[in-house]
Amino acid sequence: MELLKVENLSFSYPKQEKDTAPAGKVIEDLSFSVESGEFIVICGASGCGKTTLLRLLKRELSPHGIKTGEILFGGKRQEELTDREAACQIGFVLQNPENQIVTDKVWHELAFGLENMGMTSSEIRRKVAEMACYFGIDDWFRHKTSDLSGGQKQLVNLASVMAMDPKLLILDEPTSQLDPIAASTFINTLYKLNRELGLTIILTEHRLEEVFPIADRVLIMDKGRKLCMAEPREAGGLLRRQAPDHRMLQGFPSAMRIYQGLDPEEEVCPVTVREGRDFVERKYDNRIRSLNRPEAENDGKIAMRMKDICFRYEKNGDDILQNVHLTVRHGEMVSLLGGNGAGKSTLLQVIAGILHPYRGKIEVFGKRIERFRDSELYVRGLAFLPQNPQSVFLKMTVLEDYEEIRPVMGYSKEEFDRKVREIAAFLEIEDLLQRHPYDLSGGEQQKAAIGKILLREPRFLLLDEPTKGIDAWTKKRFGELLQKLKARGIGILMVTHDVEFAAAYSNRCGLFFDHEVLAMETPETFFCSNNYYTTAANRIARRQYDGVLLVEDVIELCRQNGSRQVRE
Amino acid sequence: MRGFQGYHPAILFLYYALLLLLSLLTMQPVLLLCSLFGAFLLYAALFGIREMLPDLVFYALLFVLLAVINPLVVHDGETVLFFLNGKAITKEAIAYGGAGSLVMITVVVWSACYTELLTTDKILFLFGKALPKLGLILSMTFRFIPLFQKQADRIGQVQRTMGLYNGKNLKQRFGGAYRTFDSLLTWSMENSIDTADAMKARGYGLRGRSSFSVFRFRLRDGKMLALMLLLSGIVLIGAGKGNMDFYFYPHLAEIETGAEAFVYYLAMLLLCCIPGFCEWKESLSWNYLKSKI
Repeated sequence: MELLKVENLSFSYPKQEKDTAPAGKVIEDLSFSVESGEFIVICGASGCGKTTLLRLLKRELSPHGIKTGEILFGGKRQEELTDREAACQIGFVLQNPENQIVTDKVWHELAFGLENMGMTSSEIRRKVAEMACYFGIDDWFRHKTSDLSGGQKQLVNLASVMAMDPKLLILDEPTSQLDPIAASTFINTLYKLNRELGLTIILTEHRLEEVFPIADRVLIMDKGRKLCMAEPREAGGLLRRQAPDHRMLQGFPSAMRIYQGLDPEEEVCPVTVREGRDFVERKYDNRIRSLNRPEAENDGKIAMRMKDICFRYEKNGDDILQNVHLTVRHGEMVSLLGGNGAGKSTLLQVIAGILHPYRGKIEVFGKRIERFRDSELYVRGLAFLPQNPQSVFLKMTVLEDYEEIRPVMGYSKEEFDRKVREIAAFLEIEDLLQRHPYDLSGGEQQKAAIGKILLREPRFLLLDEPTKGIDAWTKKRFGELLQKLKARGIGILMVTHDVEFAAAYSNRCGLFFDHEVLAMETPETFFCSNNYYTTAANRIARRQYDGVLLVEDVIELCRQNGSRQVRE
Repeated sequence: MRGFQGYHPAILFLYYALLLLLSLLTMQPVLLLCSLFGAFLLYAALFGIREMLPDLVFYALLFVLLAVINPLVVHDGETVLFFLNGKAITKEAIAYGGAGSLVMITVVVWSACYTELLTTDKILFLFGKALPKLGLILSMTFRFIPLFQKQADRIGQVQRTMGLYNGKNLKQRFGGAYRTFDSLLTWSMENSIDTADAMKARGYGLRGRSSFSVFRFRLRDGKMLALMLLLSGIVLIGAGKGNMDFYFYPHLAEIETGAEAFVYYLAMLLLCCIPGFCEWKESLSWNYLKSKI
């Protein structure tokens, strides 16, 4: 049965006076239909109109603008649905777990939608109890919503939408603010809802590695148009034929990217790690087991050194950091990986001088951190990019915000203008300077925040989860940017959950576990000795080749080895 | 939910109102001491004796401070103890100051306990029925306060690492605080758009909104209500008959010690000890049950 049908949908936002760019169509002539019980993934680079499309599907959230074409839900035109049908039968989960929560208690949050539907207390009691059990919320049913972790919050959001028993569930990048483990849990819950209850799901997502294997069909969008809509297995091939260098290809699961990089004929495209491994092992020889790479020794000057650092928040609390040792040199990037709430962010805050350790010694540029006065440490010294770039901005436009830095650095007007132009060109954010920081997308905000930091000409950079919520293409660009900064001799310390990103760009990786930094090694040694905590490309090729972490490495090795000879 | 906390929010609220009323209206030392004793009993049951000791020191200091101020400013009363800078320091003024600060501390301790007992969802439940819109707004506000604090901290920290407002002078500090506040406003407005969307998406504004709560009035709530009314009734009768009157000026009134007065004191003591006793009993009976295993 056809649940949703979109016919020749076009949409453009009303033109703003100060907007100089032509008011182009955000959605252009889009048609597709969704069968009841399907799991659809919509993907596309940031700003391709995914979010606008999803919002148009939910009448209450439709943006203002000029819309043409039809949206039919359950055979009815969207405009003809009653308020109750429109609100209750289509559920919507937004990106930010925090902002969607309305009330202060979990149980109240679960009941919120049902209260709006006007159910009686006893009906609500039953429903809420059922939801709490199904989603495993029963243990923190009476907790405050503000005490929950990001993953728990998003689960509450999902449960409270599901309590209303919608026929169609729409999710707009629901996992982009979550760490990988919470994200997997969330996606598995969606999978369960789809398989067990036959719920129709439309999802946009950057993490395609996990959603591609479970999606029935994917819709790939570019600049408001439909590029293709097909089963995940075929989608890559279709996209590749239509646009061989398309940005979206960067975001595909590793197995698909390896397959596409090798471009073999008449094979079925692998999607999961298992299929990918199968494909590589069956098709390619492994006489050459590893790539010959010269080991780059970094004996640059030390940017930051910490010894025996201990930190706790409260006198009687537990230690968050315990005898932490860490050294970062100029011109290298060090990544710290580790579980949620392990204290990685706390470590960065201690180095940034925001929090103060009760024992140990931190030296930045060879000087004890306590010896720096006022802003001395932060001018042409250390810079900290927080997890939430919104806290970097205080002004109405990005440029006004940059202006703040001028007196701190003592730039003259001309000097400042020149610097801003340089940095904006370097980051490709010239168009964003006049915009309000909050109007930018996640990736754009990240770049604008980095711009503000670069204006201070730092020599040592602290990054807290810089790739959170950024699409694969932007991530790649960001990685290249970090390489350039490294080449300028800047030392970088990054805390991240993003295994692939850490593997691709860092010089050394460490694991933060049990309040200290363990195993500080090169990415090759670090990830190849991990069985679980490693990149998908490594999991695909680890039995076949040694020391491969990246899709590019696997492709290169497969090429060098050539096809396996069929033995008679 | 166990102990006194487990009772229906209406019971909790009524008890709080009764206790505050009795503590604020009377200056009778015995009644006050009963109330204070009950308050500390509950405090210890809720937060633990070890936690309470440092707080006890604080309250003792507060008591002395408040008690000293009155005789320094007020010089009424018949019994002059000594002269300070030519002003009479009287026994009555000291007693009045002491009683006054007892009232203050009693109210403070009860209220401290009640932030633990009468949580926001219970307040909401109590007032949400009568004013559903207000109930929702309160609930959203309660959610927002910790969020706001967290973000304010974040912004402050980040701005400091930007090299802004690190200075020690007042102008910079105020500038920094103001700017943080300013950006908090923007931030909260931006993010509340999301919240509004999430509300609309879940059908807020449909006709006939109902109001759900997890609380139910049970038999034990009824029993507790009866007990409370009985005990406070006795105390009020005593107050009505004038047995519990107490005055400080021009000279201290006698404290009633008759058998009848004793009944009233006992009723007050029992009334005040209910919550603390309920909380203690819970842990004691647990220990007992465990010992039998």
